[in-house]
Amino acid sequence: MNTLVVRPTRVRTAGVRQQILLTAQQRLMILMLLFMAAFFLVSMRLLYFAMFDTSSRNGSASTAFLPARADIVDRNGIPLARTIDGYSIRVVPEKLLNNRQYLADELHKIFPDISRAELLAKVSGPRPTYIRRRALPDQVAAVNAIGDVGFDFPREKERLYPQLSLAAHVLGFTDAAGHGVTGAEGAFDSRLIDKATRGEPLALSIDARVQGVLESELGSAVTNLEAIGGAGIILDVHTGEIAAMTSLPTYNPNKLAPDNMAARRNAVTHNLYELGSTFKPLTVAAAIDAGTVTSMARRYDATAPLAIAGFRIRDSHPSNRWLNVPETLIHSSNITTARISDELGRENMEAMFRKLDFNTRPKIDLKERAFPIWPKNWGRLTTMTTGFGHGIAVTPLHLASAYAALVNGGIYRPATITKLGDQAPPKGRRVFKAATSARMRQLLRLIVSDGTGKKAEAPGFRVGGKTGSAEKPGAGGYRRSSVVATFAAAFPMDNPRYVVLVMIDEPKGNAYSSGQRTAGWTAAPVVSKVVMRAGPMLGVFPDESRDVDVSELTPLLWRNGEDE
Amino acid sequence: MIVVPPAIQRIPWKLIALLSAITGFGILVLYSAAGGSFTPWAMQQTIRFLVFLTVAMVIGRLPIRIFEDFSYIAYIGVLVLLIAVELLGFVGGGSQRWLNLGFMNLQPSELMKVTIVVALARFYAQLPPGNTRSWTALWPALIMIGLPAALVMLQPDLGTALSICIGGVVVMFVAGLPFWWFGSTAIAGAAALPVLFSFLHDYQQKRVLIFLDPESDPLGAGYHISQSKIAIGSGGVGGKGFLNGSQSHLDYLPEGHTDFIFATMAEEWGLIGGLGLLFAFFLLLRWGTRVALKARTRFGQLTAAGLTMTIFFYIAINLMMVMGLAPVVGIPLPLFSYGGSSMLTIMTCVGIMLAIENDSKTGTRRLH
Repeated sequence: MNTLVVRPTRVRTAGVRQQILLTAQQRLMILMLLFMAAFFLVSMRLLYFAMFDTSSRNGSASTAFLPARADIVDRNGIPLARTIDGYSIRVVPEKLLNNRQYLADELHKIFPDISRAELLAKVSGPRPTYIRRRALPDQVAAVNAIGDVGFDFPREKERLYPQLSLAAHVLGFTDAAGHGVTGAEGAFDSRLIDKATRGEPLALSIDARVQGVLESELGSAVTNLEAIGGAGIILDVHTGEIAAMTSLPTYNPNKLAPDNMAARRNAVTHNLYELGSTFKPLTVAAAIDAGTVTSMARRYDATAPLAIAGFRIRDSHPSNRWLNVPETLIHSSNITTARISDELGRENMEAMFRKLDFNTRPKIDLKERAFPIWPKNWGRLTTMTTGFGHGIAVTPLHLASAYAALVNGGIYRPATITKLGDQAPPKGRRVFKAATSARMRQLLRLIVSDGTGKKAEAPGFRVGGKTGSAEKPGAGGYRRSSVVATFAAAFPMDNPRYVVLVMIDEPKGNAYSSGQRTAGWTAAPVVSKVVMRAGPMLGVFPDESRDVDVSELTPLLWRNGEDE
Repeated sequence: MIVVPPAIQRIPWKLIALLSAITGFGILVLYSAAGGSFTPWAMQQTIRFLVFLTVAMVIGRLPIRIFEDFSYIAYIGVLVLLIAVELLGFVGGGSQRWLNLGFMNLQPSELMKVTIVVALARFYAQLPPGNTRSWTALWPALIMIGLPAALVMLQPDLGTALSICIGGVVVMFVAGLPFWWFGSTAIAGAAALPVLFSFLHDYQQKRVLIFLDPESDPLGAGYHISQSKIAIGSGGVGGKGFLNGSQSHLDYLPEGHTDFIFATMAEEWGLIGGLGLLFAFFLLLRWGTRVALKARTRFGQLTAAGLTMTIFFYIAINLMMVMGLAPVVGIPLPLFSYGGSSMLTIMTCVGIMLAIENDSKTGTRRLH
């Protein structure tokens, strides 16, 4: 009985043993297969790395150095704005171990610019606060050496403007969240932070060297003339690219001072001025275009102030004689310009201004653009006053673009702060006839060689331009003592390349300008210095043997008259 | 014909040659990584290898009975050490993984990798074959794996804990537990991954996330993987040449002499060096698997399989980590990376497997 029970069990056990042995060998083979598969996988990966070395390498390298926000560089690749990992010094008061008074003392030694009371408030406040954002490494080390766990030093992406205040208004700045507010930072914010495009730096049309020249010359003039501000722009007449643009007073975008909001305003694009006599060449050009000025020799009566609609239009330096067209510009006569405007008529005058976009915000790829003050009721008097730049207020950029059209053959183009590079310049639209433009080059050159703009002359650079000294409107009419002195110029006049516009806001007539506050004595010398220094950088070299031919106009000038 | 004495014949020359080739190559790379110098790594690694090789040969001479008899005692001993480490860490504040024995730092978790395999092999060798498909085959093994794995996880050392689990599970697998148990556990494990993930430490979670997208933080925690890939990729087919790797020499590559030594090697020796090393490792694992297949006893078979798998786990995880196929867990490359404890573990494994091989040559098979 026993054997009968046991025997089948034994047989079964033996069978199970056999089966287990088989299973074990099977499973060992499965493991072996797993090994082979793993080695195969790793070998394939190795092979992939070896074969696609360059692609994988470039891929990781470019992502490794993809900035959080694109750099901004000038037209030659000089960095104007970069993003760095800055140190911040932060305090978490609840974690602090040391005596608060002691900490405030220690911190005050490291940051003498922050008052002890303020530091004490920070270390004993309820919430974590920043003691300093974008701290210097030495400061971080010093705070770390205090040895309190309540301080930490988060690395934060900081926007660095390595050229300090250079081109501050063109670049603009970013807010604490890293978004652009003004300038190129604001206008191209999405381009700068887009993952697809931020690997490439944004190239501006600005030339840092030229920008430096413009800033230094305008800055020294504004300081010496005790002016309240200034604006300057250098514009490529054929492409609309801005080679330099500055506004004074300026600021350091690395360190924004909250109490200096006015300095952040870009006077070139965001401030409106009555730019005065600099409009006269536009009026004359429109009149030549329209055919109302039939001859350069035609004379207009400037013997007495012109009375119209209860106003009297007078000249600041009365000639008391009849003036022809070149003389009108050379002596900057309001009376004769008003007569030319009157003949030109409202329609033609308005059409010219509209074609030059004087009725809309200036055409530029910045966000800070002011809307011009366009005359509300356009009467006969308005036509006359706008002819010499009163009764209409535009930005300096409006005028620079208009001058570019005036000298480049008559084509108006929008301005841009980005580098065009190989791209074709915008097509633009015709405002003046090419022949008119050629005539205007002669006239503008005459103003510098023989007229009110003599101090803008830069030997060999063939500068031409027009002064404008507009009295600022104040309470109860224009104020004689507050002048906006503008000089709008272009060079070289035989083949214009750049418009240079310099504006000085309320210069004082002091020893620096021989007691004069008019543009011929204040703004014109700045143009001369800027052209002489920046011309070669812009590819224009002084050449005394070349000039625009003005021989047909020189006989028209009355030489024995007053010399202005 | 030259008569080779049997004592010399019995020495496993082929295996020694293989181990020396792998370690020797590693020492060359360490020499280069130190900028062409024997200090601080290459010389010490050489001495260590010679010592541990001797140890392995001595272990290989031991009768297999000894391992079988002492397996449980060793297991309990190492478990006690693990608890001691945990308590010391608790008392000392912060995590601790080693016991200072005065002359060396002992990492009990390293020892556990070996003892878990031996102890489980013993367990299944004793288990009546009829019971392998029953509950009694499962729960003691799970406890034996679970206890040390949990203790090591507490340290926290994810890589070693995984290694302990894998070694144990492979023994269970070869022992013949039903297939669907493994299958269903794998599926359940995959389903539970998100839950497990939440148990990981912050830095461990970060590593896993960065493994999934290393380029998301190339200068931060993804740096290891990115730099490693650059180093391997820049080697190309033939490599940059001995002593010419820039990634590793210029310290771009972190841990270029330990965990990421494969990248250092691949940069200088290229695809050829990489494939050569892989082949050598494959030979080592093939030897281990053959030892398991030919083992005379069930204990020997299970132990050899588990230990081979432990070595394989080291190799596979390290290589996949270096190539960005697995998250960064601190696991060195066996025999290749600079470091004593991993070499000790691997050489112990090799020694035990040698003992099993010797045993299988001596007598007839008595698998049960």
